[in-house]
Amino acid sequence: MKGRDAAGVLGGGSWGTTVAWLLASKGHETLQWVRDPAVRREIQEGRTNTRYLGEGLRLPEALRAVDDLEEVARRSTVIYAAVPTKAMREVVRALGDHLSGDHVLVSCAKGLEAVTGTRMSEVLREETCCRKIGVLSGPNLAREVAAGQPAATVVASRYDEVIRRASELLVSPRFRVYGNRDVVGVEAGGALKNIIALASGMVRGLGQGDNTRALLMTRGLAEVSRYGVRLGADPLTFSGLAGAGDLIVTCSSPLSRNHQVGYRLGRGEGLEAILADLGQVAEGVNTTRVVHQQARVLDVEMPITDGMHRILFEGSTVEEVTRDLMTRPSRDEIDRVVLAT
Amino acid sequence: MRPQDQEFVVQEVTGRLLGRAREADRDGGPTVEALVHDTIYHERRRLDEERDPRERAEGLAWWKLVGRRMGRASEAEQFRIYEEVVERFAREVLGRFNPLVYEVACRAVPVGLGFLLNAVSPRLLGRGFPRLPDVGEAVVVQGRVDELRRLSRRGTVILAPTHVSNMDSPVIGWALHTLGLPPFLYGAGLNLFSNPLLSFFMHNLGAYKVDRRKTASLYKEVLKEYATVALELGYDNLFFPGGTRSRSGEVERHLKLGLMGCGLRAYVQNLREGRDRPEVYVVPATISYALVLEAETLIADHLKSTGRSRFIITDDEFSHPRRVLQFVGDLFRLDGRIYVTVADPVDCFGNRVDAERGVSLDDRGRAVDTRRYVLVGGKPDHDPQRDAEYTRELGLAVVRQFARHNVGLATHLLAYSAWRMLRARRPGVDLYRFLRTTVAEDSLPMGELARDLERLLAEVRGLEDRGEIRLDPRLPRGDPQAVADEGLRGFGTYHTRAALYRRGDRVHPAHMELVLYYRNRLAGYGLEGDRT
Repeated sequence: MKGRDAAGVLGGGSWGTTVAWLLASKGHETLQWVRDPAVRREIQEGRTNTRYLGEGLRLPEALRAVDDLEEVARRSTVIYAAVPTKAMREVVRALGDHLSGDHVLVSCAKGLEAVTGTRMSEVLREETCCRKIGVLSGPNLAREVAAGQPAATVVASRYDEVIRRASELLVSPRFRVYGNRDVVGVEAGGALKNIIALASGMVRGLGQGDNTRALLMTRGLAEVSRYGVRLGADPLTFSGLAGAGDLIVTCSSPLSRNHQVGYRLGRGEGLEAILADLGQVAEGVNTTRVVHQQARVLDVEMPITDGMHRILFEGSTVEEVTRDLMTRPSRDEIDRVVLAT
Repeated sequence: MRPQDQEFVVQEVTGRLLGRAREADRDGGPTVEALVHDTIYHERRRLDEERDPRERAEGLAWWKLVGRRMGRASEAEQFRIYEEVVERFAREVLGRFNPLVYEVACRAVPVGLGFLLNAVSPRLLGRGFPRLPDVGEAVVVQGRVDELRRLSRRGTVILAPTHVSNMDSPVIGWALHTLGLPPFLYGAGLNLFSNPLLSFFMHNLGAYKVDRRKTASLYKEVLKEYATVALELGYDNLFFPGGTRSRSGEVERHLKLGLMGCGLRAYVQNLREGRDRPEVYVVPATISYALVLEAETLIADHLKSTGRSRFIITDDEFSHPRRVLQFVGDLFRLDGRIYVTVADPVDCFGNRVDAERGVSLDDRGRAVDTRRYVLVGGKPDHDPQRDAEYTRELGLAVVRQFARHNVGLATHLLAYSAWRMLRARRPGVDLYRFLRTTVAEDSLPMGELARDLERLLAEVRGLEDRGEIRLDPRLPRGDPQAVADEGLRGFGTYHTRAALYRRGDRVHPAHMELVLYYRNRLAGYGLEGDRT
């Protein structure tokens, strides 16, 4: 009988495949659960995932694409869940039939559940018997990581064991992993930066320059921090890789889907047309909706999120929202209340 | 505790703490020298305040000697002194113990609540109290009682009730007795021992002594280890996880997890040693009173700027026999009830437990093999960081159960409605100012209050239908006026000043702190007017 020393990955998208590649490149036997049969076959037989990562990335033999969640649970104790947020609950619930208390689950999806706004670590907790749960988040564009460019990420968990084990498997001379106990902060940073990325893309679409983008990113980070701290996050987390780091990369890189959606909105295209055209998920649109709603309940001031909500769902124009944001009453830049919490 | 287990517990506690101290010493943690000196420091400070001259003199002399010996002790001798200190604490905790009475108690002496309550004030025994009240009428034990019974047979149980009053211990004692369960061990505060008759029963119904004036961390370690070893030996335990009586009247939302963690430690230890029936279950429970004996003192303490409140209160209503007697009398005249509601059992990781099968279930109802949580390299073992997190999860589960099985009574409902109506008139005003300046003249028309109460009842019934709270099953249905009357009748008795009283068509607030105290029982459910 085979042991339980393999590493598990859920998801055949760009990030799931990249994580699987990172693991397998280090020689760990890696089981990647892939729902789409075509992608699975390509990984298994062609050793590539062209749909998500192009032709360049050769996947090592230690990686095996499978369609059986039970096998993943049986063969591995550390499982990285890299399925889109809207599929997370369903996939993990099915996986949950085969899990036990010694499994380590790591969410690699950035975003909140639609409608409920539940964080992904909470979904893992609700749908399984597992307690050893963590999240992986940071400035990690899949294609750059897969190209072997130096990069770093954060594993956050309340359990030291999760941080240790989930990091050990991934770390390499080209990929650094930092630990953090602040799960809420790391998740909030990863999810909410997508809202700011939409806005940042829009600014570019409007032809505005770097001052404007810097303004947006900095004040965006301020409101993301405010939201996180309200939920119990450590304000310092937002100056780290999963906060500022991820925000910078998502707002700067044209590779980011959220950035693309924002850009086209700035060019005057309609949201529905853009989403239909894009084919992939742009988490920021959904995140804007749920965070806007939560912020009202939590009584957190989030002007940029509110502005994006008006543009996306309430029919306001970009000009109107920009004017309103720029003419808000001035205040102290540093939010002492947030820092004191 | 069975006599043959007593010496074992003392030795085991001492041995384990000594082992841990050696480990810490080796791994660069605090040295035994530091631990002993810290303990001497805390004990001397306590003894300086001690009122009993004999205990003071004996204690100070003992600790002085310990300090002097430490000064010239070799390393081996330091460990021996440490061991003596631990053993002294362990023996104190164990206290006096009469195995004979314990045996009798185990065979379930029909001790009435009336007797226990009277035992609270022995001087009043036989002094004109009309009759011993019918306990079966007064204390209603409801909820998952079958589950509690089953689990107590299947493994070891930690019963974890909410805590608002010193009456809680005798009430729980009675509840366990009516359920036909053997006595539970529990750590009772020293003030409960100060009463001779109650003390007798506390000792012999399994109580061990907790002296909260002893602030040395070593003493707390001894207490925790004592509870752990007792759980391993299969003694069911009673913990009040709130740590101390709720000052605000709210159902506990933050627990003291130190003691709660003992369950998991015992479970892991049982697995390591391959014992039969290793499981430790946690059964939360709520205790709901229409009126609370110490309400006035507790809320006043709560409002004494949060954070500065006293941890130990010794001069409250509980220490005045006359007040206790009046309380008990009023309770029965009112036909009042105390609800002890047993909530859904959970395991040490916060999973629900199916008592019939003795199986833990995850949130989706799938069976969970709890042994797997505690494996380290394939074998069950302790991991303090991990286990603290498991215990945090347990705490969350217990708090959830508290909220779901909290019983809303007429006094709570009436106070909640009156509070939110009065507060709505002056929404921006600071809480303390509002409390100070809301006076009898700020009365509410009875009709309006009844209408608001009707709305509130509809809201709470909605929560009840979703299993998020319980309501007094005897509450008149569809008759908010009757609920108001019952609440007013309650407030009209016992307390020195009624929280609310009625004159003609208007209801007047007379003691806003009490209104706040009783409305707080329904706080945290997101009902309209939740913020104070």
